[in-house]
Parts: sequence; C-alpha cells; structure tokens
Amino acid sequence: MSILEAQELVKVYPGGQRAVDGISFSVEEGEIFGFLGPNGAGKTTTIRMSVTLLAPTSGRVVVDGVDVVEQPEEARRRIGYAAQSVGVDDDLTARENLVLQGRLHGLSNREARAKSNELLEVIDLLDEGDRRVGTFSGGMRKRLDLAQALVHHPRLLFLDEPTTGLDPQNRRALWKYLRGLNDSGVTIFLTTQYLEEADVLCGRLAIIDRGAIMVEGSPDVLKAGLGGDVVTVTLPGDATDELVFKARSVMAEVPGCSEVTIAGTSVSLVLRDGATRLAGLVRALDAAAVPVVRLELAEPTLDDVFLRHTGERLRVDEVKPPSRMVHGRRRS
Amino acid sequence: MVRVLREIHVLWKRNLIKLFRVPMLLFFSLFQPLLFLILFSQVFSSMAKLPGFGYDNYLQFLVPTIVGLTALNSAFQSGMGMVNDIDSGLLDKFLIAPIRRSSILLGKVAADATRMAIQSVLIIAVSYVMGARVKTGIPGVLAMILIAVLFGIAWAGISNVVALRTRNAELTMLIGILITFPILFLSTGFMPAALLPDWLDTVAKFNPISYLVVALRALVNEGWDWTAIWPALAVTAGLAAVTLTAATRAFRKVIS
Repeated sequence: MSILEAQELVKVYPGGQRAVDGISFSVEEGEIFGFLGPNGAGKTTTIRMSVTLLAPTSGRVVVDGVDVVEQPEEARRRIGYAAQSVGVDDDLTARENLVLQGRLHGLSNREARAKSNELLEVIDLLDEGDRRVGTFSGGMRKRLDLAQALVHHPRLLFLDEPTTGLDPQNRRALWKYLRGLNDSGVTIFLTTQYLEEADVLCGRLAIIDRGAIMVEGSPDVLKAGLGGDVVTVTLPGDATDELVFKARSVMAEVPGCSEVTIAGTSVSLVLRDGATRLAGLVRALDAAAVPVVRLELAEPTLDDVFLRHTGERLRVDEVKPPSRMVHGRRRS
Repeated sequence: MVRVLREIHVLWKRNLIKLFRVPMLLFFSLFQPLLFLILFSQVFSSMAKLPGFGYDNYLQFLVPTIVGLTALNSAFQSGMGMVNDIDSGLLDKFLIAPIRRSSILLGKVAADATRMAIQSVLIIAVSYVMGARVKTGIPGVLAMILIAVLFGIAWAGISNVVALRTRNAELTMLIGILITFPILFLSTGFMPAALLPDWLDTVAKFNPISYLVVALRALVNEGWDWTAIWPALAVTAGLAAVTLTAATRAFRKVIS
C-alpha cells in the first residue's frame, strides 16, 4: 500500500520558474525511496510541497490517505520532516529542543520528556543532552534534527539531503541510524545528490532533473537497464580533439556498444557482455593506432544511469572537511 | 481553546528560556535606556528651573520617557528574533507541527510582553534608587508597565513587518533605531510641550509616542489622570490595529 502519493505535481514560483514540472510518484509503506538529482532539480520544492510548507501550483499529494492541501493539520500529524539545513535552537539544550518539538506535537510534558530521553539514546547524545546545542558539531546537530522529526512517531519521514555537508564518517553514521529507523517500520522519503547514498540506502529511487522524473526503479534494476558494463578508455593527456573523436568513432563501431560519451581525453561507452567483447575493442583501437594509457571495465554506477537519462554527469560539490567552527563558536 | 493556550504557553516558555539563557541580551538592551536615564537626568537637571517646565525635577519628568524607550527598544528585538527563527529553520519546524499558525505569533507576543515587563520593572527600580517616586504607588507602577507593554507590542508589529519583509537581522535593527530615535525626539519625551518650538509641538501632537509618554508621566507625577490614560490606550489600540494587521499579513506571505 502506498503511504505517499504525488500526482502531477507542479510548482511555478512567482517569476515564472517551473521548479517542479508535473511529477508523479508513490512511496510504498516500509521502503526507503529517494530522489537523486543535482541542485536545482526540484527535490526540495517537491519535499516542501509534500510536508505542507509550500502550496503546489497544481496537482496533489496524499499522505497516508490524507490530502496535504485539504487537511494540512491531519497530514502534519503523520509526517516527520528534517530540512536540508538543521532547524535547532542554539540557545536551548538538546533535551529542551526535543521536549519543545514533542510538546508542539501534542505530547504531555511527561511524555515529551520520556520520548526525548529515548531519542537522545538512539542518536547517541544522552551524555550531551543537557548541553547547549550551540556548542554541538555539525554531525551532532544533524542527528538532533533527525531526532526532532521523530518525537511524534511519524509513519513517514521526509529527509531533504540528510547528509549534505557532513564528512564521510558522519555520513556513514547517519546512514546507520536511517537504516535502523527503517527497520523499525518508518517509511523514509529522502532526497540526495550523492550517488553512493542513493545506492546504499534506497530500495527504490527516481532520478530527477529540471523538475521532472527521468526514470524510476531500484538501483540494481536501473543499472541493469543500461544493458552492459561501462568501459572507459583514457588517451594521453596531450591527445588532440581529433584523436579523441577518432577513438570515439572506432569504439562506436564495436558490436554491442552504446552510449559513447567523451569527457576530456576519456571516452566511455556501455558494452553488452563487456568482458567478452573487450578484446575486440582493444584490437580495433590498436588497428586504428589510437594510443591508450588506461582502460577500465566496470559495473555501471548510478552516475552512468544518470548520464543516460539526463545527458550529463551528476556533479556534486566536494564534501567540505569537518569544520572546527560551528556557527562561530569553538567546539568544546 | 485549552489546546491553543497550551500551544502559546509552550512557545512562550521556549522564548523565555532563551531570554534567561543569554542574560547579556536582556541587560545590553537595557544599557542604552539606563545610560539615557543617568546622563539626561544630570545633564538636563537645570531644565527644571525653567519657567513653564512644571515638574519637581527633570528625573521625575524623564523616568516615564525612559520606560517608554525601553519598551520601544525591546519591541525592535522582536523582529530580530523573528529573523533568527526564519534563518535557523525553526520557523519551519513550528509550521510543520500540528499547531495553529496564530499560536506561533501569539506565543511570540506573549514572550515579548514578558520581556518588556521585566525590563520596565528594572528601569523603574533603578529610577527609585535614583530618587524618583511614582505618585500613584504600586498600582500606578503596574498600570505603567501594562501601558508600556501594550504600546511595545503595537510597536513590535512594525519591527516584525520589517523583519519579515527584509529577513535580515541587522537591517531590522538598523531600521528600528532609525525609526524609533527621531520619533522619540519628535515627541514630548524630553521636553514639555510648552517649551517645544511651535512646529515641533504640532508634530508631537501627531506622534503616538507623545501619548504614551504623557500617560506614563501622569501616573508618575500627577495621579490617575484618565484624560491622559484613555487617549494613550486609544492610540495604542489604533496603532496595534495597523501594525499587527500588517505583521500578520507579512507573516502569511512568508509562510505561504
């Protein structure tokens, strides 16, 4: 049964920008479903419309049988939401932040306190529970923000780029929490611009670009859909454009190949039964006197899937090293 | 109803925790009114000797103005708090909770009122130590605080409109100072109407702050002068109707 259903969702911002251009998808109860796409693809806009923070221009979103536009308050009871930037109060302690959210979600003082304790333990912040959040590191704040979204036992959790800005170690730790949550029965809808995150976490995902869904399916099915292995041939760094184009046309002639693309002095293609046809490819290049410095045969990645459906690679801003300063205050 | 009160209470409490967690903020915003109180009461003390001044000493005349100034200053912190809540993503957290949107604003108003009341009490206490006496006694002090707080809430509406339109804390503060100061000096706050130049006297008559100051001054110096108090309350109500409507509208625009 689907717990989240979006139909023909459209958002046109004042000024005419069509941020979301007719998106339909559904999320099944118990799964982790992801939107993979670059900045500006419409991921955040879709989430904000789904969690009642933004009115759709047209189309509808139904959460657990409740239309979010018609019955926003009912919808809010059923969902948890953690935005891309954390929404925590720096002046309050972690515990106070959680109790506040619990109270706002209708828990009694006693219930809110009990729930806060339970959640602090889940996110490994029990010892830091009475410290002011302003002294927390980025990873701790992110975990607290996640806990805040869980105070009222939502059945569906919306996470907008949950690990953007985290270093790899904190990112993996957060994945662990999310998997645990999912195992305990919480359905998760998340957006990400990280291929690995989508691959590791999502049971199903949709690739989204320029406000529209390009393709949808499980990571394995999407990758298998490419119909082969990815072969990348790298020419010397000083190879002329002419030479690179020549390599491309030689490779395009190889039986079973498709999607030949050029990036710098590298040429990649998808090769059906790559391992058995590789020798033929090498012979063809050799016969055409194309110099090769590197040859790679790999299983397709989600980036290759992304490339096929959008015509571009998914470029992601480099992850910043863990910051020692958080909001201008030194970590203690 | 009970539910709404609970929502307001929860949000009020959160703001109060913040207020006392960073007491520096509470006192720093009192620094300027205190400075004015101490400096002006000394510098302008001989003004009381002017014919037509009409008060025992300048301190007695000044204290109500400073109480008003404190409420106005505090009002402009209100908008900054709003900007911070938007920037930190907390407003979104409140909006996603199953509570009424109006509770978010009312919780804020309640917290602003509490802060203004605390600050007013502190100013009146310092004035007492300096020798100022409120003629109407404790009930008069309570009435002063009530009037100043109501006016402050109306003034906070302006601050929140600026905050919600600019979404910039520094700009909100700057515009607050730029608006409050000229209007304060264009009122009868530092000089009795009788001693103001004619044009300023006319301007002061249209200045809402004049009405606030006159009512507070009556409670300190004359007694329960309802001919001063009612106009102040009426002006406050009129001002609040305009500023709070505008603020609510700006708020709706931000959250839609």
